[in-house]
Amino acid sequence: MSSKNKSRKTGLIFFPAFDWAISPTHPEREERLLYTRDQIFEEGLMDLPSIEEYKPRLAEKKDIARVHFCVPDVESQVTEAHLIAAGSTLTLADALEKGEIGNGFALVRPPGHHSMRVVHGNRGFCNINNMAIMVEYLRTKYGHKKIAVIDTDVHHGDGTQEIFWHDPDVLCISFHQDGHTLYPGSGFVNEMGGPQALARTLNIPLPPGTTDEGIHYVLDNLIMPVLDEFKPDLILNSAGQDNHYTDPLANMRVSANGYARLNEKLAPDICVLEGGYAVETALPYVNTGIIQAMAGLDYSHVKEPDFVPGRFVQSEEMKREIAHTVSQVQTVWDERYNLVEEALEGLGDFYRRKRRIFYDTDMINENQEEVVRLCPDCAGYMTINTSAQRGYGTLNSAFCVTIPRGACSSCRDDAKEEYAEHLDDRRIGYVLMQDKDKDKFKFYNNMTRTEKGY
Amino acid sequence: MLIGIDVGGTTTDAVVVDGNTVVKTAYVPTDHDNLLKCMLMALDELVQGIDTRKIERVVLSTTLITNMIAEGKTDPVALVLIPGPGTNPKDYALGESIVLDGAIDFRGKEIDVLRESQIKEAASEIKAQGMSRVAVVGKFCQRNHSHELKVGEMLSSALPGARIELGHRVSGQLNFPRRAATTLLTAATKDRYAQFADDMARALKERGISAPIYILKADGGTLPLDKSAEMPVETIFSGPAASIMGVMALTQPGQTSVVVDIGGTTTDLALILSGKPLLSAKGARVGSLLTHVRAFAVKSVAIGGDSAVTVSGGNLAVGPHRDGSPLCMGGRGPTPTDALRVMGMSSIGDAGLAEKAMQMVGVELGCSSKQAAQKVIDAVVDKIVFEVNEMFREWELEPAYRIWEIMSKEAITAQNVVGVGGGAPPLVPLVAARMGAAAIVPKYAPVANAIGAAVARPTLALNLHIDTEKGEYSVAEEGLSGRVIDRRMTPEDAEKLARKLLAERAVRLGIGEYASEAEVTYSEVFNMIRGWSTAGRLLDVRMEILAGLLPSWGRC
Repeated sequence: MSSKNKSRKTGLIFFPAFDWAISPTHPEREERLLYTRDQIFEEGLMDLPSIEEYKPRLAEKKDIARVHFCVPDVESQVTEAHLIAAGSTLTLADALEKGEIGNGFALVRPPGHHSMRVVHGNRGFCNINNMAIMVEYLRTKYGHKKIAVIDTDVHHGDGTQEIFWHDPDVLCISFHQDGHTLYPGSGFVNEMGGPQALARTLNIPLPPGTTDEGIHYVLDNLIMPVLDEFKPDLILNSAGQDNHYTDPLANMRVSANGYARLNEKLAPDICVLEGGYAVETALPYVNTGIIQAMAGLDYSHVKEPDFVPGRFVQSEEMKREIAHTVSQVQTVWDERYNLVEEALEGLGDFYRRKRRIFYDTDMINENQEEVVRLCPDCAGYMTINTSAQRGYGTLNSAFCVTIPRGACSSCRDDAKEEYAEHLDDRRIGYVLMQDKDKDKFKFYNNMTRTEKGY
Repeated sequence: MLIGIDVGGTTTDAVVVDGNTVVKTAYVPTDHDNLLKCMLMALDELVQGIDTRKIERVVLSTTLITNMIAEGKTDPVALVLIPGPGTNPKDYALGESIVLDGAIDFRGKEIDVLRESQIKEAASEIKAQGMSRVAVVGKFCQRNHSHELKVGEMLSSALPGARIELGHRVSGQLNFPRRAATTLLTAATKDRYAQFADDMARALKERGISAPIYILKADGGTLPLDKSAEMPVETIFSGPAASIMGVMALTQPGQTSVVVDIGGTTTDLALILSGKPLLSAKGARVGSLLTHVRAFAVKSVAIGGDSAVTVSGGNLAVGPHRDGSPLCMGGRGPTPTDALRVMGMSSIGDAGLAEKAMQMVGVELGCSSKQAAQKVIDAVVDKIVFEVNEMFREWELEPAYRIWEIMSKEAITAQNVVGVGGGAPPLVPLVAARMGAAAIVPKYAPVANAIGAAVARPTLALNLHIDTEKGEYSVAEEGLSGRVIDRRMTPEDAEKLARKLLAERAVRLGIGEYASEAEVTYSEVFNMIRGWSTAGRLLDVRMEILAGLLPSWGRC
């Protein structure tokens, strides 16, 4: 059991990666957390007795491999900046489990929530999924079973959703600006998870212009009650800040106070920064507010220079639309046991889906075929056949196998057989295997016929 | 000839240094109620038979400010804050304050205006309280001085004769509550310190000593006494700084050493990394206040020669409290000093009484007095080694904000353990052996502090902030700002400007000849991208003359 109540301190890792950018003028550039640094340092927040600053560490390659099939390998997909951002979440996870802190905030970049299980490159400014890496670390190292990830970024947390799609023990809730009007164009109510985990993915698309009132309506009427019923060991917040009314890449109307209040209400064990690109007008204030709310400090003095309470008012129509979405998602949640039962009835021994995934940052098109064994004795092994093309460049292909935690012997044997069958198959570039049960990870290169592992 | 005087807890030491030789030393007991008198006594004893015309410099390391603050003998100050949006000022442990509207942001932009009526009200409140000293501190006022200047002017005219300290003149670094605390302490000590500086200058003149007088600061640097009156708080904790500078003076340059100052009840630890004393990552803590004062990272451990040795439930404990003198020196209970005496590692105190002390411990532990003494010594060494390792670990775990800082920081180990203070000679070899380092107890260890003061060179820092989009640069501590024309100014240009400004500041503070020693200790540049193009650059440069020794001091 977690001993997290030993300390009420808030652990903070601030890693602005002042020497890393996607490109000099990209929103994900060196300057992104500069004014946030100025604000939180000037506030003297790190000196307050309720806040403890930690130094980040580098995540191990194995921590990445536990979540991602990086093609061709982890080294080719991550830089030191990614390892430090991911490692920050693990440092806080350890501090939480050791009882040094009561909660924590990884105020780090680069972000991660658009990274999916298979990684061919950068998608939506993300290479690896910091949040998912922390979730799997917490489960492997500390034996947590049920975890809730609440994605409060303005963009749909499609990467996190995809990674835990088949996992009934990880509840992924994302509210975001409607995918019809914003990247990545997904996150609709009907995306509810794989057949064994239906309603463990909940999506709440919100209309552009949603205010503090709107997101707090969703929290009060849906997210908090669902969390009460799900009873997770840990609540984690993918804390994007681009619902802010000044964000240049989205169209919502949330204030720093609204974000602070959200974190007070949600009381997450750990927050991990995702997006948020209003580097001067939002981030310094939103981050200050979140840190204060987590540390139990008064955040009522945090205010954007141009904000006055009551500045943004939702129309009656918008309120009705939000209420309607909330009631639909509520129905999905209420029906969760029936949904799983019905879905499994209609399926045989295997569940298959084919998908196309576009990596906007790196202009990569990926085709996937995913197969999950619907096993009565365990979560079932999974295979993914993936191929990706970058522009007119090279085609990278891989065959990926996952042995789930607590795998039954038959799934274990079949998965190993699948791995062995694809070795040296010259039609496929790489063969990868995640043995989550034994925490061992293999990468095989079919061209050089070499294997390496973590 | 150089003179160093260090006011310690029990004795005030003085030393005359000529070239690289210690010519003469003197000690007098410290009189905490009259530091001026006791420093002069030490000086008078020291200069007997010495041609005072040959004295080139006198450096004082005094506990004046430390004592003043610890004993609450500072002057009352009204604190006026302009906090703007962010933290509730009540969450800072700064005591009573008057809070004004008005705000400046991180770019130095005014985001809320001052209200004149509030400033007038503040003035009447301060007047009603009978206060004549005011500290005015605004958030981000180091990036735009206008609010502090305006409030300062209005208070000044409403409160004739009042002493008004403005935050940006005290520190240009980020951290508003630390700036407020430092400004508060500056206002609270400035008058009394100025009085001390005057008296000291007069007393030396009366003695026919016309050499310049310097004061030692917490960062191991010296500053002319008269100029130091602008920043009295920087002279706190000069004792540990003097001892670290003394170790620098008495050991080989460029090495990594642990400085262990073992006293009666506490052991002070400090690190010299590759010849540079480690500064604490943030400023010093003064009483309950966190400040911006640059100070060496010194860890005080509650263990020393006089620590009480107790046994409970078969477990041996040394310290943290003191229960009078060691038994061998007429005290009541066993101490490490008794243990050292029994083991023949020191000749302090009465051998018979020491034996008796260790027998008391031996009875409780069921062993001989010699074995008990060994266990006591082991416990002291264990504790010191543990704390030294913690200090290295804390240094390794200091937060970093750039990839290269995280990738390049490697674990380091000490080459030397250098002992100063009374308890050092017998214990330092044991600590060093455990750490696999060389033990050094310099010949002049007992007066290392005074030597450190005598041969420390001046230090100086300057923080330059440049915003090329606004076409401005500023040096908060100097209250200085100016125009920059080049929007794409490079860090090299910024460093050149910082060097020029530091040289000017050094001249103003009477230490111009050291300006060429200045180095860039921090430099950052950010392109500001608005839309998809560069709107300007933000550059920050910290230029410093770091702690070091006078060139005339050839190392022993």
